[in-house]
Amino acid sequence: MRADIKTFAGHALARSLVLGLGLFATLGFAADAMPGMAKGARPELGTSAVFAPDGSLLVAARQGEHVMIYRSADEGKTWSAPSAVNAQPEAISADGENRPKIAFAADGGLLVSWTHPFPKPNTGSVRLARSADGQRFSPPLTVHQDTAIITHRFESMLTLPDNRVILAWIDKRDLESAKASKTAYRGAAIYAAISTDGGRSFQPEYKLADHSCECCRVTSAIDRDGAPLFMWRHVYAPNERDHAITRLKPDGTAESVQRATFDRWKVDGCPHHGPSLVVDEKGVRHAVWFNQKDGEGRVFYGRLEISGKNEIAGQRTIGGPRAAHADIVAAGGKLAIAWKEFDGERTQLRAMVSADGGHSFTDIALASTDGASDQARVIRRKDQLFTFWRTEKEGFRLFPLP
Amino acid sequence: MTRRLFPLFFLLAAGPLAAADFTPLDRLAAKRLLSPESHRQATIVALWSSDCNYCKKNLKLLSSLAKSNNKLRVITVAAEPESAQLWPLLKPYALGGPRYAYGSDNPEAIAYAIDAKWGGELPRTFLFDGRGGKEVVAGVISTATVEKATGLRF
Repeated sequence: MRADIKTFAGHALARSLVLGLGLFATLGFAADAMPGMAKGARPELGTSAVFAPDGSLLVAARQGEHVMIYRSADEGKTWSAPSAVNAQPEAISADGENRPKIAFAADGGLLVSWTHPFPKPNTGSVRLARSADGQRFSPPLTVHQDTAIITHRFESMLTLPDNRVILAWIDKRDLESAKASKTAYRGAAIYAAISTDGGRSFQPEYKLADHSCECCRVTSAIDRDGAPLFMWRHVYAPNERDHAITRLKPDGTAESVQRATFDRWKVDGCPHHGPSLVVDEKGVRHAVWFNQKDGEGRVFYGRLEISGKNEIAGQRTIGGPRAAHADIVAAGGKLAIAWKEFDGERTQLRAMVSADGGHSFTDIALASTDGASDQARVIRRKDQLFTFWRTEKEGFRLFPLP
Repeated sequence: MTRRLFPLFFLLAAGPLAAADFTPLDRLAAKRLLSPESHRQATIVALWSSDCNYCKKNLKLLSSLAKSNNKLRVITVAAEPESAQLWPLLKPYALGGPRYAYGSDNPEAIAYAIDAKWGGELPRTFLFDGRGGKEVVAGVISTATVEKATGLRF
């Protein structure tokens, strides 16, 4: 249920570049003269994928000022012409940490959420559109009532079996109030809004927690007893960017906010790495996250059991020193983690599958690219696990996992 | 051919100094920019991005330090491709040094060339003393950090 150069060639040019570089070197500006490079365009590849109840693969991605839905009935081999979610164009965030999300409500409605950034940096609103037939979407609604030009971004969408839909996001209204009253406030906050009618309407938003990190994706899952779970990077005093998790009560309020990781990465900065959480059929919470521990930035896996010992069961590193942006899913007694990892030349897509609840894993090399790429996503179709990856050069790709 | 290409070269090379344009960075250029051998005076290479609030603190400090001691050179690198929003964000700091943004190379290759140990967190600052010394700081920097790493006083 989780939503989730151009270069000039020729001897003459080469000679002029060498001559030019020589001149600049004598002026002490060797490092500043970088001819022949092409300007990049923001590759906004942030994409989400989900299997529809009929087994087809649906992908939500930005195209200009529209979120588009792409469909494949053959596991990504061929794609239908895309259809627009929002009829009226608007700005849409689609970098890896802040991408459009796609999910099905319990009543079968197709839901697509996204962050609509305002022209002022770091501001935006959380939007959602619903389609009863999977084709035609209602006009998007803003899921929060706050209309301030501030951060309401990085939403996570969770759909529940009772047709509730919960969106939780990073919200800076408390930070802005603190600034106005010249008081200190760590980080941002997590706010949530609940729909009880499959995403047709939302109740007024409310705060789940103070002091979240400002620019990392938020993750969600359903706990063993059906309670909604949200997990995010937090800022523990004074500046430890570990993770927090909360369970929601039946009325949607936060039961308690617990520290979920204990790596103690102290940094006054933006990590741009959010966690991923899943609860398996046995009710065990499995998470992957990025942190710096002992001075080294790594992706970690662990089981978030409540032990009171400030330790994470089975915590281990995932991939090598360049592993990043891992995603996790569970189904059919298996657990799968996928991530990307730059090897010095190319970006590798890798995965690990566990058949024993995360105690041991089998590594799998899936693909690589030499261009820009989105984060890896792991998705399920009933008991089958897949990795979905969008790359600038190769497009959408789906990899069945063993 | 050579004569015709010379002006093109200087146009490209002078880009960051002459206009609001950012010079696009690829992996080879990044490696060179972050090499201590490339810096013969005290230099700071400051990585920032449009959505990094902590970066503003660093840019503000570097702006004031560069004004108080003209021996300090500040080079900025936006860890994202050039867009309309970059220059309005950087302009207020009036940093006279070269400014770069990611080019069309694989962003992960550029990041790796900048610093193989960098996980993408911002701000990240590289401090060169101009004599082969290089320090790296993740997060917000202080005047003391800059003085210690560069040997300059402010």
